[in-house]
Amino acid sequence: KMAIRELKVCLLGDTGVGKSSIVCRFVQDHFDHNISPTIGASFLTKTMPCGNELHKFLIWDTAGQERFHSLAPMYYRGSAAAVIVYDITKLDSFHTLKKWVKELKEHGPEDIVVAIAGNKNDLGDIREVPMKEAKEFAESIAAIFIETSARNAVNVEELFQKISKQIPPLENPEGDSNESFKLTRQPAPSTRRCC
Amino acid sequence: MAAEDLPSEFDVVILGTGLAESVVAAAFSRVGQRVLHVDRRSYYAGDWASFTFNGLLSWIQEQHVSTSLLEEGEELICLSNSDSGSIRNVQVFCFTRWITDCFVTQASQTQGEEPEADRSQSEPAKKKINYAQLVKEGRRFNIDLVSKLMYSRGSLVDLLIKSNVSRYAEFKNITRILTYRHGNVEQVPCSRADVFASRQLSVVEKRKLMRFLTSCMEETEEQRAYKGRPYLEFLSDQQLGDNLQHFLLHSIAMVTEDTPTEEGLASTRHFLHCLGRYGNTPFLFPVYGLGEIPQCFCRMCAVFGGIYCLRHSVSCLLVDKESNRCKAVIDSRGQRISCSHFVVEECYVPANQKKVATPSRFVSRAVLITDSSVLHSDSEQQVSLVTVPPIAAGCPAVRMVELCPSTMTCMPGTYLVHLTCQSVGSAYEDLSPVVTRMFRTPESHDRENCPSVLWCLYFNMADGSGVEVEGHDLPSNVYVFSGPDGGLSHERAVRQAESIFNKVLPDEDFCPPAPNPEDIIYDGDTAASTGGEDEKQEKEGAGGEEKNEEGEAGEEEKKEEGRAGEEEQKEGAGEEIHEKEGAGDLAE
Ligand SMILES: Cc1cc2nc3c(=O)[nH]c(=O)nc-3n(C[C@H](O)[C@H](O)[C@H](O)COP(=O)(O)OP(=O)(O)OC[C@H]3O[C@@H](n4cnc5c(N)ncnc54)[C@H](O)[C@@H]3O)c2cc1C
Ligand SMILES: Nc1nc2c(ncn2[C@@H]2O[C@H](COP(=O)(O)OP(=O)(O)O)[C@@H](O)[C@H]2O)c(=O)[nH]1
Ligand SMILES: [Mg+2]
Repeated sequence: KMAIRELKVCLLGDTGVGKSSIVCRFVQDHFDHNISPTIGASFLTKTMPCGNELHKFLIWDTAGQERFHSLAPMYYRGSAAAVIVYDITKLDSFHTLKKWVKELKEHGPEDIVVAIAGNKNDLGDIREVPMKEAKEFAESIAAIFIETSARNAVNVEELFQKISKQIPPLENPEGDSNESFKLTRQPAPSTRRCC
Repeated sequence: MAAEDLPSEFDVVILGTGLAESVVAAAFSRVGQRVLHVDRRSYYAGDWASFTFNGLLSWIQEQHVSTSLLEEGEELICLSNSDSGSIRNVQVFCFTRWITDCFVTQASQTQGEEPEADRSQSEPAKKKINYAQLVKEGRRFNIDLVSKLMYSRGSLVDLLIKSNVSRYAEFKNITRILTYRHGNVEQVPCSRADVFASRQLSVVEKRKLMRFLTSCMEETEEQRAYKGRPYLEFLSDQQLGDNLQHFLLHSIAMVTEDTPTEEGLASTRHFLHCLGRYGNTPFLFPVYGLGEIPQCFCRMCAVFGGIYCLRHSVSCLLVDKESNRCKAVIDSRGQRISCSHFVVEECYVPANQKKVATPSRFVSRAVLITDSSVLHSDSEQQVSLVTVPPIAAGCPAVRMVELCPSTMTCMPGTYLVHLTCQSVGSAYEDLSPVVTRMFRTPESHDRENCPSVLWCLYFNMADGSGVEVEGHDLPSNVYVFSGPDGGLSHERAVRQAESIFNKVLPDEDFCPPAPNPEDIIYDGDTAASTGGEDEKQEKEGAGGEEKNEEGEAGEEEKKEEGRAGEEEQKEGAGEEIHEKEGAGDLAE
């Protein structure tokens, strides 16, 4: 039986570059021009095999908080990977991407795997960001680079496979007896009783 | 990228992203209200925020600039955009040794000092952390302005779980409760196992303590006889001895010597009730600090369609004179935004609209970065609550929380220590005597074995429990929240949020559970939940509640249908609730 490892992945990038569409394509293999799938979805999950582990991606979408530049830092806390998306037909969105790289360097987790996705590559005829430039930028910061089309299901699966491969193997948890935990409806049964 | 205009119509506009405002934002959005949530600052959570070390330095600098923008038009209420005095008496000290310039800000209150004390030879050669390192590793700090803990069975934990907002954050147990007594830091036994394992207590004391803790869970005739009389008197009549009396009064009940018995007992029971749910103490702390909690509720609000805008404020309210209701607000960009309800943090309310102009009470706060724990133990990763009784008559009792690096609030090799008390004087006057006694600073004497203070900050913050939220000269659909109070728990903020939500939407459920990620299925252009997981959880709930829930659910369904046509965007949320009802029927 393979061990399941939960990995938080967050999506960053300008409004309208196709973040939600990429998630929707990856998780549901579905594309819709007018989706608003972030409504009600705290995060979505999808599990992929990787070596002798199963990677369960907990994919966090921005919930639109990026629209007015008000994304909360808690959004990328504890992320194993960040996918920074730009729209190949919008040069501005590529500039925003560089700001996100800086933001993650300053405030993101230390060992975060960064992937850069140039989305909407089905719209090559109105392209504003040359692939070469983006690729070189990604190389300069040691990030994964891939051009995707959420619309035509191009390279979306591959994007996450690449991330999966870059996730460092599980470290032995340190001797911290006070591990952090999630609060759930059914608290872990305790051996202690209150007086 | 050009700034986009905000939509011009909302149900609720909320100004300020503190805990209570964020909870109410999530609650409104969750039941389908269109929420606009703004904060004039560039960060979330207002006075509840947490900062990196460098972020805190900027915050300190901001406190010295206070601009007041009070204006009044005949039909306008101009909201204050200054910090309106919620923070005072900011003082910063840096004691790291090998730095030349340890000044943090150029402000007059700021002082920098170098310790002249020599390191004793005997001390193991430990790498000292200098100021440059604090700055370089500044991002590893998450320093809260407010210092509180979460009672494991308190209303905040209950709400996080009920609403599923809990899945946005992780928590750690407070691992031990300590107290300062006769110049020493001692561990307080607070569970059955602790009592038996304690080496400080004699067998007789152990037996007495166990008997007391068991007996105080139920109200007795004897206890009632002490109603109105000090808890201390009750305790001393139990013949418990000094040790136990100190623990029970200062560390378990956490009350003062003149607190009435019934309050002391209630507090003791709450403590005992919260033991053992998650860990050996009654308390939890969020990883990355308390500032995460408001952000988690804001995310929930956004996930259900709420719109977020930082660095954005509301400058005026447009009030319909006849009905005395706020019909719209004018935002800081001059845009008119209509709303049915307006929620605002107290500090934005202009002084001339308030019943009482200034906060009546303040909390004294200190934040220390130290190099070791106040009590060494096998594990370096302890999270401790330390109760410090008044060190002299007339001094306040001080509450101290010591956080270790694994809470993700400070860099490795350091501890982050928060001190809090009710103000008597300035924060420095109230707290520095405790700091000099318990830590090693240039002012302290013979404290070679105490942790050294590398850097510290003192400030006073308005006490939210001393702030009027009712009775302001404001329209009837404007609701005011007070800022954080000085208490240990979050009860007040959660209660305020729930009460205002119920006032506005008396028939709606407050923060029902959000669907689980696995249950969201995209179906055409709507997202729907199968509700499978919810159903399970509902069943696990207490049987007695089921009927009640169903009744409410029925109401909710009707409302959802009524709204369905109004707003396409909300269809996802509506669908989900609908599905949940179906699941509920099946469960029956
Ligand atoms: C949590 C967080 C979320 C962010 N989300 C986004 C995002 O979704 N999209 C994005 O483009 N940038 C985003 N940013 C980037 C952020 O807007 C800029 O990095 C930051 O404002 C500094 O930019 P600058 O140093 O280039 O200054 P400048 O660009 O010169 O900014 C000067 C002023 O303009 C404001 N400003 C900067 N960038 C923008 C912008 N894009 N739109 C409107 N006002 C702006 C700044 O607040 C500042 O007051 C985010 C930053 C943070 C910390
Ligand atoms: N042509 C094309 N359009 C896309 C693609 N991905 C997303 N879109 C469209 O871009 C718009 C914004 O997408 P969305 O996922 O909401 O972006 P987000 O704001 O980053 O989450 C929508 O109209 C999508 O239909 C793509 O790969 N190709
Ligand atoms: Mg989106």
